[in-house]
Amino acid sequence: MIYFLGKMLHPKFEQFSYLRLVDYISARSIGAALTAIILTLIITPIFIRYLHRKGLVDQIRETGISSSSDKAGTPAMGGAIVVGCVMVSCLLWCNLLNPFLMTVLLGMVWFGAIGLMDDTAKTRAKSGDRGLSESRKLMLQGAYAALLALYLISPYSPLPHSQLGAFWVPFMKTPLFNSLWLYPLIVFFFVLVVGNSVNITDGLDGLAIVPSVFVLGVLGVFGYLLGNRIWAGYLNYPLIPGTGELAVFSSAFAGAGIGFLWFNAYPAQIFMGDTGALAIGGCMATLSVVLKQEALFLILGGLFLAEVASSQIQDKIGIKWLGRRIFLRAPLHHAMQHKGLAETKVVIRLWIASGILALTALATLKLR
Amino acid sequence: MTDVAFSKEWLTDGEKLQIAMQPIKRILLTGGGTAGHVNPALAIGSALATPGTHFLFVGVRGRVEEEVVPREGIPIKFVRASGYPSGLSPKLASFFLNLLIGTLQSIFILLRFRPEVIVGTGGYVSAPVIMAAALLRKIGLSRARIFIHEQNAVPGKLNRLMGRFAHQVFVTFPETLSCFPETGVLSGYPLRRRIARISPEEAKRKIEIKIPEGRKVILAFGGSQGARTINRALVDALGSLLPYRDRLFIIHGVGLFKSSEYNAMEDTEQRLARLYNEEERQAIKEFYLYREFFHDIENLYTISSLVVARGGAGSLNEISAMGLPALIIPKSNLPGDHQVMNARSMERAGGAEILYEQVASVNGKLSETIDGKILAEKLLAMIQDESRLREMSRLNCSFLNQDALVHIERRIRGLKSENGQGAQLRAEGLMHHPQDSLPGNRSLLSLIEKAREKHRNSYRPENVISRPQDLEYLKNRASALLIDSAWQNRNLGIKLLGLLNAKKMIPALLTIFFERKPVSLFKRFLGGDFEQVGFIRRNIIIALVRLNEIAPGVEKALLMGLQDPYYEVRAEAARAAAFFGARLSSPGGFISGLLRLLTDPTIDVTVAAAEALGKLGGEHDALPALLGLWDARRWKIRAAVLRGIVHLVDRGTVSNLKMLEEQAPRFILTSTDFTPQFEIKAAYRHLMESVFREKEKRPAQ
Repeated sequence: MIYFLGKMLHPKFEQFSYLRLVDYISARSIGAALTAIILTLIITPIFIRYLHRKGLVDQIRETGISSSSDKAGTPAMGGAIVVGCVMVSCLLWCNLLNPFLMTVLLGMVWFGAIGLMDDTAKTRAKSGDRGLSESRKLMLQGAYAALLALYLISPYSPLPHSQLGAFWVPFMKTPLFNSLWLYPLIVFFFVLVVGNSVNITDGLDGLAIVPSVFVLGVLGVFGYLLGNRIWAGYLNYPLIPGTGELAVFSSAFAGAGIGFLWFNAYPAQIFMGDTGALAIGGCMATLSVVLKQEALFLILGGLFLAEVASSQIQDKIGIKWLGRRIFLRAPLHHAMQHKGLAETKVVIRLWIASGILALTALATLKLR
Repeated sequence: MTDVAFSKEWLTDGEKLQIAMQPIKRILLTGGGTAGHVNPALAIGSALATPGTHFLFVGVRGRVEEEVVPREGIPIKFVRASGYPSGLSPKLASFFLNLLIGTLQSIFILLRFRPEVIVGTGGYVSAPVIMAAALLRKIGLSRARIFIHEQNAVPGKLNRLMGRFAHQVFVTFPETLSCFPETGVLSGYPLRRRIARISPEEAKRKIEIKIPEGRKVILAFGGSQGARTINRALVDALGSLLPYRDRLFIIHGVGLFKSSEYNAMEDTEQRLARLYNEEERQAIKEFYLYREFFHDIENLYTISSLVVARGGAGSLNEISAMGLPALIIPKSNLPGDHQVMNARSMERAGGAEILYEQVASVNGKLSETIDGKILAEKLLAMIQDESRLREMSRLNCSFLNQDALVHIERRIRGLKSENGQGAQLRAEGLMHHPQDSLPGNRSLLSLIEKAREKHRNSYRPENVISRPQDLEYLKNRASALLIDSAWQNRNLGIKLLGLLNAKKMIPALLTIFFERKPVSLFKRFLGGDFEQVGFIRRNIIIALVRLNEIAPGVEKALLMGLQDPYYEVRAEAARAAAFFGARLSSPGGFISGLLRLLTDPTIDVTVAAAEALGKLGGEHDALPALLGLWDARRWKIRAAVLRGIVHLVDRGTVSNLKMLEEQAPRFILTSTDFTPQFEIKAAYRHLMESVFREKEKRPAQ
């Protein structure tokens, strides 16, 4: 809104000349981040009390780790605030006609809606184990993943024509391959895996949100650079016009995330729930895909992928098939707890790990 | 076309007349695999037979129908079919391929035979025919009406699917109606009519076996395929029955089953030869006769005083129709445990007694068995009590709906059944009794685990399962899981046996534990080790602790467990060693094993070993090793070591306390973990406690 207002007013009226700031992505990014932080800080306490009054509090799963039972009664669905504040901030500061932005917003809302259905089902059943069935969730997510993959290779794709089926790999100057049938398949599975990874990581207070902010922040930087003719040329990347808007989105998300951490830090007053975890997963996946950074996510989102991999290997290969545990516990953070690390210690160590991964991912910008 | 009219010698003239009024010209029967499926098809066929009716039977080559059906004067054609495999496996692909080929074959058969009515009696055999018929109907090339009869209480996956294409599904048990909400009709079990219509004199004349006067005849069989347990137990029992050979005559249907693992006839012959010498075998011949299969079973029923059989719906219905007393040996852990439920239902009605199979280790391998001596005792006790046999016989006569066939016939002919209601009511003779239903294995486990959680120390299986014979059966059923091919089920059985306090099964548990057959190379590459997977070995040790008995072999298993390749087994074995403590006969072996585990790479194992050393060790072996871990990297290990040393001190094994006092302060006491205390949660707990206390004090209102 502010973007459109500024666009409309500053060329015509001398007294609104300062509104030309809206032409600068950097300025709008800062505005979006601040708006989101302030909004979350104001709304979350009100929302927490509302959830308690409605009895919409978390029903903890039986993980076998004793400290987690102390958390029953904490409201979930904090993700709804994050999603809401990002939306408001984007409404104010973004160019809503940008197709990249719309795609990412759709990813966030789609996945967030699946999470919301799961959360309400769980609170209604009064059990942390009885939400939406896994297959139902995968079907709904798969529908989005297929839609996204097809959209990006279709004639309506916002990507430059030469990039439709291109698969970029860090440290390489040219795409690994350019294939219109293999690439959509990769996108499909990528979205499913990454979309669920945050949900699995979200097991300890503050564990999911900080690495998410790191990841989205780095992707925002990529968006800014890839959409900028000078930078893209300097870094030897293909120019993708329009992705600069994603930097504004990422800033809004980082702001909302930090505002959420205010309340989610140990000991948490609110959890993000499946609503938040899936929404973050959905927009992280979509951002990586439209920026052609799927392979980079192996580094950037290494923490999330390790969490997913450990939990799937443990459950599907170990417990269900081989008849043994492969890791002491799964996912990763539970294994660390089992070895005798306090929750706070696990969380901070994994923050550090994800920070290092994010910096490494940033370094790949020039190392090609 | 080579169709031959159905032979209907067993129909009365009145029936023939009535049937002739609404002739159905062309009837296609399908179903098979076992006699349990073929017989109902033949029974329904015979009910529908009129002089001008042409029949065709469609089955699978190499199964019972190939032999039985032509003898009835019905032409048979074969199609490809195979059973629906469980789980995802390469078999699934071959199943779909077979179904496709079978359906195409069936389309040809249907187009040539042009039946008016198709009757399918289940088994995977009928699936392709029903599929083809439904397909042809859809495109208007066939007008055949499709009927299905489901014999079992729990229909198979394929029959459930086929039920959608049928005009009517006849079911034996009322529970089954819920699987076929639109087309299901309760009918009961169609018995071949000729079964009930013979006088003993006529039967004696018809059979070619010469039975000396004054003998009581026992008829034993395990269905058309035979039952390994019954066959072996019966042969074993013959020795104990020898002294009674002038009063008994045993007729034994061994069964047609042949596979690489078990060949019913050969196995029985070999067993006879191995157990008895020449002289004994001669004596046995005087009162024991075995055949692969009896085609004239109705005659044999007529002259028998007692039947030994499996608990399938078909056998029980036949026995009941003949009004015979029975000794039922049900197979457990079938879908819905239906054989056991059937048998219990008949037992409660008073017409039968039950003998359950046991799982025991024979030559280091587990298998289902029945002790021949026990079978012999049971048979003698039953056969010698004349009045009880008569009473059982009387009770069994009234136990079953005899009208199933009339009901089915009328439905197929499109007649409104005059006494349909009556037939339905009477069909409930053989069904699961609601108040009798026992929990399935999985729900039993969660039931017990909940009870255990509630009453930590006072838990006893008797508190959950009140009837002793039920508890006995549940233990039996759980032990039958031990020989399941899926490790998940074996694992379930092991957990149940521990929780049900089945001390008798310790040898079987140990047999499984010592079995070290490796899994495939691929699985080993991914971390698997033996066919008896890690969870199984871990849970066996847990079960041994719950059973709380140092039977022979238990110590050996625990010692082996300390060196197991899977870490949870090592940890659990260490905990078990600590649990049995002073009751172990050779603590020395355990102490050296535990000392080795102190350097185990897995934290759980080291922790368990350190605490166990405190319970088992002494000043000179355990204490120095434990003190040496003062600077272990993980605080959990240091804490466990300290707890272990506490045990040593408490047991009074440490004489040099001064040394301990000097050494202990060296321990690194920093920790990476803590237990949070939330003041508000403590306050809340206090509130609830005081409310509870106050409530206790006040008199009940």
